[in-house]
Amino acid sequence: MAPVTGRLSRGQLAHVFARLLFIQATIHRRGMQNIGFLAALDAAAAPITGDPAGLLARHAEHFNTNPNAAPVVVGGVLRIEEEGGKGGPASVSRFKQACASALAAAGDVLFSGGLKPLALTLAAVSAIYSFFAGLVAVLVLYNAAVLAVRYRGLTFGYERGWGVIDAFSGSRVQRVLGIARASAACAGGLLVGVVLTRAVGQGPVLVALTIGVSALAWTAIRRGVPASRIAILFFPLSWIVAMVLK
Amino acid sequence: MSETVFIAVIAGLLALDDRAGWQSLLGEPVFAALLVGLAAGPVGPALRCGVALQLVWLSIGAARGSRRPNVVVGGLVAAGAACGVLERTGDPRELFVVATAVFCGLLAGEAGAVVARVAGGGRERWLGRFQLPAEAGAASRRLVLTTTASALYVALVDGIFVLLALPAAVFLTETVTGRLGAAAAGATWWLALLPALAAGTIVHAFATRTLARFAALGLLIAGVASWLL
Repeated sequence: MAPVTGRLSRGQLAHVFARLLFIQATIHRRGMQNIGFLAALDAAAAPITGDPAGLLARHAEHFNTNPNAAPVVVGGVLRIEEEGGKGGPASVSRFKQACASALAAAGDVLFSGGLKPLALTLAAVSAIYSFFAGLVAVLVLYNAAVLAVRYRGLTFGYERGWGVIDAFSGSRVQRVLGIARASAACAGGLLVGVVLTRAVGQGPVLVALTIGVSALAWTAIRRGVPASRIAILFFPLSWIVAMVLK
Repeated sequence: MSETVFIAVIAGLLALDDRAGWQSLLGEPVFAALLVGLAAGPVGPALRCGVALQLVWLSIGAARGSRRPNVVVGGLVAAGAACGVLERTGDPRELFVVATAVFCGLLAGEAGAVVARVAGGGRERWLGRFQLPAEAGAASRRLVLTTTASALYVALVDGIFVLLALPAAVFLTETVTGRLGAAAAGATWWLALLPALAAGTIVHAFATRTLARFAALGLLIAGVASWLL
């Protein structure tokens, strides 16, 4: 592991990292993640500045980004503050908000639109076939990826400071996001295939019903009706149909 | 009773992970139900509940403006109800029990989201009034205490909700499976068709020119694998 240059030791960065794991604990509408952000800064405020209370007071403003991307911003702010906050508080605040907005979008696509659906789809496929090793592997790999991204994000932000902005404006980020989305789509297709092949094994009636319900679900979701509401609605309906047919 | 308390404690811990921590996925129905199965009853039916709910609540392509149900509560209530009823009654119609428990889990997930939203109002107001003390030591203590208290509040709300919802779900599952035997076939078909909802969700989420190609590749892999195996 490459050494982190600066006033903060690996142990102090690990403390910041641990606080960042719970950045969502204090999310609220008015300041969003600002309390979590302050809690993370607080873990390293004393070693980087002579006025930790002043540093915290400067960063008490509204803050919101993808929780997995927040460590990059915190790392960047720690470096900038360590260097004396070049450009003044207004510039640091603009840096924070600019990074938060850009990383929120990228983080949502990468995690909510890519890694999480990918992991959950593979977990569902593993569970359908009672493949417990697959379930454990999905859980371990997903968490390893998320924790590694968060820790690396923190050290990366702390190494680069202002340079964080340049690092995330390149085409490499878009390529990574594209790969994550494509992988999730591939896993989604796999799950659809599993659903269809299992229906085929149980006869043509179930195949026809599966295709019909899928089409209905697709139409309903397009119109803003969540799949869970359709499932709830269909349960009593299935009783009635069963009782009538009996 | 002790199993209900135990599952409520699991609910609190998983809520902590899902809404206060880094979302390790343990709170997702497929994993939460597996935990209940390992801790409180037969693993098979619990996992069946988890898979069914996971397929309905597949976290992609959420409908516009829709709120996410409380998946932690739903998964635990469904798996807990299925395990509890199967253990108590020894009902041989496992699929019927699982289907009814899944239905209870879906209702609990929707109700849990409403409860969390209402109960979260007080927490919102409290966090909205947060003031940072001027002294560094006091500020540090306040931040740690606020974070801990807020996380515990989230855990407590879900834990208490599961403590109340689980016995209700067990009662409902037992009543339905005991008195509406004629509906067993319908409920079993309903359970068999839940994966179709996931298929609809996936088609909706990935129906773009770029992503559809990759989804088709996955479909092809599943087809070839099923043909070969």
